[in-house]
Amino acid sequence: MSDSGLRVDVWEKGVTSHAQTALNPPGSRGGHIVLRGVDKEFSIRRRQRFVALHDIDLEIPAGSFVSLIGPSGCGKSTLLRILVGLEAPTRGSVLIDGAAPRELVQGHRVGFAFQEHALLPWANVVENIALPFHLAKRPIDQHRVADLVAMIGLNGFEGSRPKQLSGGMRQRVALARALALAPDVLLLDEPFGALDAITRRHLNVELGRIWDETRVTTVLVTHAVDEAVLLSNEVVVMSRGPGRILRRVPISLDRPRTRDMIASPVFQRLQVELEEALDEAESAAR
Amino acid sequence: MSTRVSMALQYALGTALLLGLWQMLGATAAFGQTLPSLSSVLATIGSATERPILAPAVGATALSALAGLAIGGGCAVVAAALRYSLQFAREGIDRSAATVHSIPGIGIAPVLTLALGRATTPIALAALATFFPVYITASAALGAAQSTHQDLFSVLGASRLQRLRRLQIPAAVPGLLDALRLGAPGAVLGAVLGEWFGAPRGLGLVIISSAQNYQIVQMWAASLLTTLLSVLAFAVASALQFATRRRFR
Repeated sequence: MSDSGLRVDVWEKGVTSHAQTALNPPGSRGGHIVLRGVDKEFSIRRRQRFVALHDIDLEIPAGSFVSLIGPSGCGKSTLLRILVGLEAPTRGSVLIDGAAPRELVQGHRVGFAFQEHALLPWANVVENIALPFHLAKRPIDQHRVADLVAMIGLNGFEGSRPKQLSGGMRQRVALARALALAPDVLLLDEPFGALDAITRRHLNVELGRIWDETRVTTVLVTHAVDEAVLLSNEVVVMSRGPGRILRRVPISLDRPRTRDMIASPVFQRLQVELEEALDEAESAAR
Repeated sequence: MSTRVSMALQYALGTALLLGLWQMLGATAAFGQTLPSLSSVLATIGSATERPILAPAVGATALSALAGLAIGGGCAVVAAALRYSLQFAREGIDRSAATVHSIPGIGIAPVLTLALGRATTPIALAALATFFPVYITASAALGAAQSTHQDLFSVLGASRLQRLRRLQIPAAVPGLLDALRLGAPGAVLGAVLGEWFGAPRGLGLVIISSAQNYQIVQMWAASLLTTLLSVLAFAVASALQFATRRRFR
């Protein structure tokens, strides 16, 4: 395989023990993600192919929070769609706890939040959060649903329909729906991308708190460097043309992460480092 | 002024102008006896001699139209659902639907009268008139679900049936009611056409017999009632659509 310099593998390269504990915190369940030599090509026109991803090697330990950042068109959303079986890789293998993504989906073990909230307009907050129970043919755990409503701070809005809620509230409901069945893997495709800066920051802190409680293996696709640093154990910087992994940056900030940390020198240093990597990714694409 | 109010005003103004013109032309006997005035037609509808003829006719036509709408609309929705779930049969079902649509009602009516009997022909023609618009609208409506919602159901491991029941059908409701709006006036027209060919009752029968017996005012009364019934069917379907749109969008 080529581009070995761009491939980083946590276990083979031997990360420090400190970083390893941060990547694999106690209390985590399944959700060990392994991608090997993953290519994804799309045919645009006859005999013309677009290489969205090339030779992606990535291992995400169970119970870690990993963010994918990179310029638009670097294939980060495609990578997420491959992880959940919405797209099949052209080459290479994708295994989550040793099984194909489709199997994970069939077992109802994945939570996914989209950039658009994707709430059903004819269903209210509680019905939307309970949808995964219906689709998994499980009895609805009313306590769980009530807990999730409380967790996202929407008490009193149980009977509201999506269009009666603000953008931030809708995304919170979408997040609660993704968490409804206590999934092994949580995949977030720029869920806060369409929100204003204040709501976004608020939801960042909220997601951090939720993650501290659940420690579910999470992959977040985002454009925002501060969001990635604030939430992740590790940030993966991707480059485009073709989409590939440029750099992996471990984030060893203490947990729980707080809003105050953003002003800290460590946070600032990480942010600068990632901004530079992003600049590099941008220029690599040209 | 909201657009809805101004639109309603425009409708009212247009209708009033048309009816006023009718009244004027009829009252001045501009077209001789063939165009009686609106007031004389309305007086006929209300008269003690005509009402016992017209009222049951309206009821019979309404019933035939409703039965035809239910049968034609039901078949169309089933066909659209089949089209949706059986990819390989898509083109075949489309062609069959187009063929059914291309049969002229007036041409097939005598055949239907022989095959189904005089009383059933109005229902059959109403069903035939309803089928195609409902089929087309329902086919489009079943594909109305957003692609993000489709992805969501894939990610949540939904079966095909669950997808149909919890996503496609609710997402299709506004479109299906659009189909009803298109189909309802057609069903009234189909029923009246069916009644021309020897049906035992209905507005179509009144129209044809009054035309043959030179009862011009009665013929206009039946035509006016047919139009009103058609408008009423459209209005009811529209109201139903308006009421449910808030729920499903």
